[in-house]
Amino acid sequence: MRRIESQIDTNAADFKANFAAMSERLKEFHARQHAARYERPQRDIERLARQNKLGVRDRLELLLDPGTPFLEFSTLAACREYDGAVPGAAVVTGIGIVQGREVAIHANDASVKGGAWYPHTVKKIVRLLDVALENRLPVIHICDSAGGFLPLQHGVFPDRYLGGRVFRNQVKLSQANIPQIAVVGGHCTAGGAYVPTLSDYNIIIEGTGAIFLGGPPLVKAATGEEVGVQELGGAVMHTSVSGTGDYRAATEQHAFSLAREIVGQWKRTPKTIIETAAFEEPYYDPKELYGIIPKDRKTQFDMREVLARIVDGSRFHEYQPDYGTTMVCGFAHIWGYKVGILANNGVLFNDSSLKAAHFMQLCNQNRTPLVFFQNITGYMVGREYEERGIAKDGAKMLMAQGGSVVPKFTVIANASYGAGNYGMCGRAWDARTLFMWPQAEIGVMGADQAANTMADVKIRQLQREGKELTEEEIAAIREPVLEKYKRDVEAYTSTSELWDDGILDPADTRNALGMSISASLNAPIDEPHYGIFRL
Amino acid sequence: MRRIFQVGGVEAECWLIHDGSRFILNTPDGAVPCQLDATGEPGGHVLRTRGVVQELRLAIGPDSTFVHLNGRAYEIGRVDPARRLAGSDGGAADDRIVAPMPGVVVSVAFKPGDAVKEGQPLLVIESMKLETTLSAPRDGVIAEMPFAAGDSFGLKAVLAQLAPEEK
Repeated sequence: MRRIESQIDTNAADFKANFAAMSERLKEFHARQHAARYERPQRDIERLARQNKLGVRDRLELLLDPGTPFLEFSTLAACREYDGAVPGAAVVTGIGIVQGREVAIHANDASVKGGAWYPHTVKKIVRLLDVALENRLPVIHICDSAGGFLPLQHGVFPDRYLGGRVFRNQVKLSQANIPQIAVVGGHCTAGGAYVPTLSDYNIIIEGTGAIFLGGPPLVKAATGEEVGVQELGGAVMHTSVSGTGDYRAATEQHAFSLAREIVGQWKRTPKTIIETAAFEEPYYDPKELYGIIPKDRKTQFDMREVLARIVDGSRFHEYQPDYGTTMVCGFAHIWGYKVGILANNGVLFNDSSLKAAHFMQLCNQNRTPLVFFQNITGYMVGREYEERGIAKDGAKMLMAQGGSVVPKFTVIANASYGAGNYGMCGRAWDARTLFMWPQAEIGVMGADQAANTMADVKIRQLQREGKELTEEEIAAIREPVLEKYKRDVEAYTSTSELWDDGILDPADTRNALGMSISASLNAPIDEPHYGIFRL
Repeated sequence: MRRIFQVGGVEAECWLIHDGSRFILNTPDGAVPCQLDATGEPGGHVLRTRGVVQELRLAIGPDSTFVHLNGRAYEIGRVDPARRLAGSDGGAADDRIVAPMPGVVVSVAFKPGDAVKEGQPLLVIESMKLETTLSAPRDGVIAEMPFAAGDSFGLKAVLAQLAPEEK
């Protein structure tokens, strides 16, 4: 496969300006990520120590194989909710390696509000269990939660994808013969009691771990019975009397060594075989991405330059290089795995939509996973294009994309506007993982267009009421709308709401994709089949 | 198709096969049975061809391999046939810059009569929230630049024209 010949001049002024701008953004991003992972009020740190519990990061350290990567999801979930007081949505999720096997991990972070489940906590856990189901990954739950956050119980409890979905997904995992372990390192109360009880294996840590449908205060209120935590649901009672618990661990260290021993004796199922090549690092330095991504989002850039800093050996076999040129399609390898790549080099026209649909069918036919790199401002509008059937050609692209049976992965590299987000495998389209770059934006349309549309509606409404508006009054209507919309389309809003699996430093994209692809091969790939293409 | 190698600046075509008992190097001048065995020393090998036994050393890099043989070093680079055989790119460049989609001109960098170099940005257009820079397809002189900043244009409008090349 040929190497992409980069045209980038790393000494050029615009490269350096872009590099500086991206470095600034990344400084902020890494600082925010560090704070979400490690910075906690002193009283919470002291409380954990008093309870004789390890922090969630120390627990992961004990569980995971040393020196192996951990692909953590949505580190900044809920960063724009609850006044920023629930970092990471009080839960750590990700894909890690235990005894050489890929596993999905769901770990409550008791240093945040006692590990209480907020609406975004539930969303993050349900997403992780969906990842486990789609990729057939065993799950390790590390339970330490105060239970549902009562003041927001409506957002935690009743709806289809809220609390009940966590347990429903556990049942589906078990039904699909995907094993689960729960390590109980704190209280599992009420609904939380079902996480360990629906797991095939559970381990309770003596002294700190407990499982009960109702805790001592609730029992007292309901029946007048006075009973202590250990008698009601401690490790000794459950592992020797009720059979609710399987293993009693003397310490946290003991608990995680038991968990590792259990994982180590699971039957290994062979992974799906796809085309592979010898692993090769990119020829061009991935850090050069910082200088390639323009600091002004409107500025066009060549996605081949991005691909050259992500794929193995910077090698890319481009498909239909002279047709529908705003859609770059081709084959490459990431971590040795062969993938089909679709990357935007401009607006989607009729020809570029057809090319994308055709290429995706090709990849499904030869079982090649798909990777989407989004920088899409939309499908082309206007009379000429409607007459040529742009909506019909976009529908073909959606039919091919949504009907794909191969694993899909999405990187929102810059703009993700309107139906372009759909065509390029946005969140609703079942990408196995979807990541955003920190400067990327996602919205129905661009900020200016949206603000103008919303302001115009308001202005016309006032004019109908007979009010004449001055320039200043119009600006006073438009500005706040524009400011709000600009904030709403930012990557931090998306990641706060879990519309993605996390923001990535662009230089980490290659490894995040490599781990995602590797994990996806734990699930089989179906025979290709589609719905009806509007021809 | 045989592989293409560059040996000391000269291209050579060959293909190595194994017939079950030995290696055979296919070249345009015929097939040469050969055998290469490592000696155990760093890079050390023994090459046997047509009854001749020669000692050589190999240094293998990502882009080329160096062979030290009889006191001389040869650099052997692999040439990608898809690149080597592509020929020159599409022939003569067009004199006209045609609008790839309807839009608005953001800025114009040259006026008629100005000399431009290939790849130099001529004008920036905006359409669908995206700014696109249109560059000179070749070295030349601007003949027409019909739109100014702020003007809108339709699909396939001629946005810039170079003076015809003198033969």
